[in-house]
Amino acid sequence: MKINVKVNGKKYERDVRENMTLLRFIREEIGLTGTKEGCGVGECGACTVILNGKTVNSCIVLAVEADGAVIETIEGEAKNGKMSKLQNSFHEHHAVQCGFCTPGMVLSAKTLLKENPKPSEHEIKEALEGNFCRCTGYQQIIEAIQDASGQMKK
Amino acid sequence: MYSKWTEYKEDSRAENAEDAEGKNTKLLNSTGRVFVEFKYVGKSIQRPDAVKKVTGKAYFLDDVKLPGMLYAAILRPEYAHAKIISIDTSEAEKCEGVVKVVTGKGCEFKYGDNIRDLTPFAVDKVRYIGEPVAAVIAENTHLAREAVKKIKVEYEPLPVLVDALDSLKDDAILIHEKSGEYWHLPGLGPKAGTNIANHYELKKGDIKKGFDDAEVFVEGEFVYPWGSSAAIEPHGSIVWFHEDKTIECWSSSICPFIIREELGRVYDLPLSDVRVHIPELGGCFGYKSDITVEQTIAWIASFVPGHPVKWVATRKEDLLSTLLGHGMRTRMKIGAKKDGTFTAMETTIYQSTGAYSDTGVHVSIGAGHNCGGAYEFPNAHLQSYLVYTNTPPVGAYRGYGHQESQFATERLIDILARKLNMSSFDLREKNYMGDGSVTALGEKLITSHGDVKKCADLVREAIFSKEKPAEDDKYYYGRGFSGVMKTPKGAPFSSKSCYLKFNADGSVAINMGGAEVGQGLRTVVQQVAAEVLMIPTEKIKVYTEIDTQFSPWEWQTIGSMFTTQGGRAVVRACKKAIKMMKKTAAQVLRVNIDNLKYDGEHVYLRNDPSLKLTVESLARGYMYDDGMTVGDVVHTTSDARLPRYSVPDANGQGTMGVSHTFGAQGCEIKIEKATGKIIIDHFASAFDVGRVINAQQIRGQVAGGVMMAIGASLCEELVFDSEGRCHNAMFRKYRFPTIKDAPEKQTIEFVETPGEIGPFGARGIGEHPVIGVAPSILNAVYDAVGIDFFRIPLTAEILKAEMDKK
Repeated sequence: MKINVKVNGKKYERDVRENMTLLRFIREEIGLTGTKEGCGVGECGACTVILNGKTVNSCIVLAVEADGAVIETIEGEAKNGKMSKLQNSFHEHHAVQCGFCTPGMVLSAKTLLKENPKPSEHEIKEALEGNFCRCTGYQQIIEAIQDASGQMKK
Repeated sequence: MYSKWTEYKEDSRAENAEDAEGKNTKLLNSTGRVFVEFKYVGKSIQRPDAVKKVTGKAYFLDDVKLPGMLYAAILRPEYAHAKIISIDTSEAEKCEGVVKVVTGKGCEFKYGDNIRDLTPFAVDKVRYIGEPVAAVIAENTHLAREAVKKIKVEYEPLPVLVDALDSLKDDAILIHEKSGEYWHLPGLGPKAGTNIANHYELKKGDIKKGFDDAEVFVEGEFVYPWGSSAAIEPHGSIVWFHEDKTIECWSSSICPFIIREELGRVYDLPLSDVRVHIPELGGCFGYKSDITVEQTIAWIASFVPGHPVKWVATRKEDLLSTLLGHGMRTRMKIGAKKDGTFTAMETTIYQSTGAYSDTGVHVSIGAGHNCGGAYEFPNAHLQSYLVYTNTPPVGAYRGYGHQESQFATERLIDILARKLNMSSFDLREKNYMGDGSVTALGEKLITSHGDVKKCADLVREAIFSKEKPAEDDKYYYGRGFSGVMKTPKGAPFSSKSCYLKFNADGSVAINMGGAEVGQGLRTVVQQVAAEVLMIPTEKIKVYTEIDTQFSPWEWQTIGSMFTTQGGRAVVRACKKAIKMMKKTAAQVLRVNIDNLKYDGEHVYLRNDPSLKLTVESLARGYMYDDGMTVGDVVHTTSDARLPRYSVPDANGQGTMGVSHTFGAQGCEIKIEKATGKIIIDHFASAFDVGRVINAQQIRGQVAGGVMMAIGASLCEELVFDSEGRCHNAMFRKYRFPTIKDAPEKQTIEFVETPGEIGPFGARGIGEHPVIGVAPSILNAVYDAVGIDFFRIPLTAEILKAEMDKK
């Protein structure tokens, strides 16, 4: 089946199997491997992308369902070779260890900050509940988001 | 708590002064001690790998694409213990995109680094529910997985053993009929005709006398059930049998050199013809150590020479077909005098190690000899039985046997304190190890092994300095404490090495074999090298991947040993580089080498600093104005191993611990009356790490470790039924902590008593934060509701049910 999508501002037209997930489409058809597979069944958030402004687990969305959609992946976050404020904040605050959950984590945080520029710690926790991290214990991720939203307790 | 000033003892002045020669050192004659201000060590420099990770450009195993690549899917059995009668692959072979269907037929070799009992595929029988039975190689993963469903296998079910205690019964069926014939390392190995894969026994002092001297006794049985390291990146591997008869492998593993040695051995190739690459690793926590999935993928790939074959585990496979953690039952008895002095400890550990024992054997030994934790027991009789069961193999998991057995120790000490009507802090303090103590292994400790008392005081101050809140309508409140001690569980060749190269502009490249799994070893390498070479961290580039063709040898990156041992190798390589530059400079300046000093920018004459040569002018040797050159290119190599590691003697003792890290942990919790839910308001940890190398990074290590063990304490367990089947091998049912489960507050502090081995005194910390968590929480639960628990996870349902009974 033929689908048209816009990923990180670039248009793609591809023929895909009906049962191909959006995750496979992004990784294998378009070749953007920054989106990761952690569980394959929508439980861990490693495959998070932004689909028409909302975060989704791309492993449980079919590519055909995304026909006509505007998609943002982690590769679209840095512009012209410069990392975004959020990316810089993750870097500076040691919110990254193994890095496998990081792309999904950054995109969930980005969506949160777009909807709620000054989230409380509680709101950060609510928004990121679906993104599992096994390394950090989450504290430095919370701090990175607080700093990126100008709320760092110095 | 880490300070920028540090104090070295007189006797280590010479060596340490050389470590930080020049402008960073001040000699204070009034005290006769050398004080060193660190310029790079202790700072929170940013991780060099974080940029690629945060932009999605870091590549992990599943991101590797190779020409002509094929994809594999693996069939797992319906039974946990059964004879394979027949395998019919005909339907699968007809499926779309299928290149080959593979079984274990004809696979005669066994593999393993410690006990060679592993097999890449089940051959005549299956021994656990996640074992490979057959595989499909196809054009893509989706087609391979579809075709696997068409393979038909006829089984003859056998009795299933899921608990070590059942496997030890006289009439138990043998899981390995030929276990006595397996190759194993000296001092290890299965007992023929039983399901015992290894029995470890340690005797210290006189246990009978120890108990005769005791006036008070406590004992109990404690269970730390199976769990999974559950890194967010699942296991995966690619193997490529080339037409030139060499093998290339990519794997999500921390032991490339073991993989190389085992593939070379099995396929009868010189090790130089086997090349193993390790890309970025999406977490490890233990279960990507030792050789796990690689021999299985190699066996599959051997049927399609010329093609790389990729396999990446599904989450279910990652949980059931790689390595589990724990599976440990600890029976422990402690004897003490009325004043609280410990006189004896008797411990027997039964570890349900699963169907294969190669990866679990050292875990059970470590659990045995270090079960006494941070305390000195003059008399001890410690045993651990590693027992085959029809469950997935157990292997390394962050903590490596220590959290399981010290869970028992720390719970029993609290119970003993109540029996003695004594403060549990006073009881612990009476028995903490310190200068002059002798461990169960017989190792003699000195001050520089660390100070558990200081750690305990910090945690006590953080958690217990205020009155705890009184019970209210909604909650019970409690506080708990635990001491911690961990050492690596080394092995005969547990070395790490370093290649260092000075570039023409004075920048430096460092290449090592240590696997970066998220712990941040690249910053450690940068900071240690920067401190010794006295150049900025930005001028030091650290390797980003491991390739056995180019990386220096390393045993494997386990045991929280990289900072200590790898850091030592870095120091040695840097010192050699400085010496090489001095050697060339001595020739050029026509002076004795002893009269030269180095300050990061120049090599200069001690008594006339104006006579100097730049580092840049020495990096490739020195060129005179007329174009003539002298001296050597500044490339150095080094290694570091644990000092005097020994195998157990007749009493199970020896120098096996070597590098100790002591610490303490504690928590304030509340328990919701309506549900039994445990809420952790505040968790505190303090460790004597010898030296903090990167302040923010070490904080992340501790916070993450604590969180992981909160999961084990409150919710994580892989449950196997009596048929050896697991019904919760998915994240939805195997719940590990999300961001909402993070404690309201974490206090993380460090004591810095410099050790003798690591760079600038640093000791290991990667695993230690998991060890005291379960006992702290369960001690706090008793404090809150007066109920003793002996098993984790302590879920809300279990706690509520017991609260209702009371």
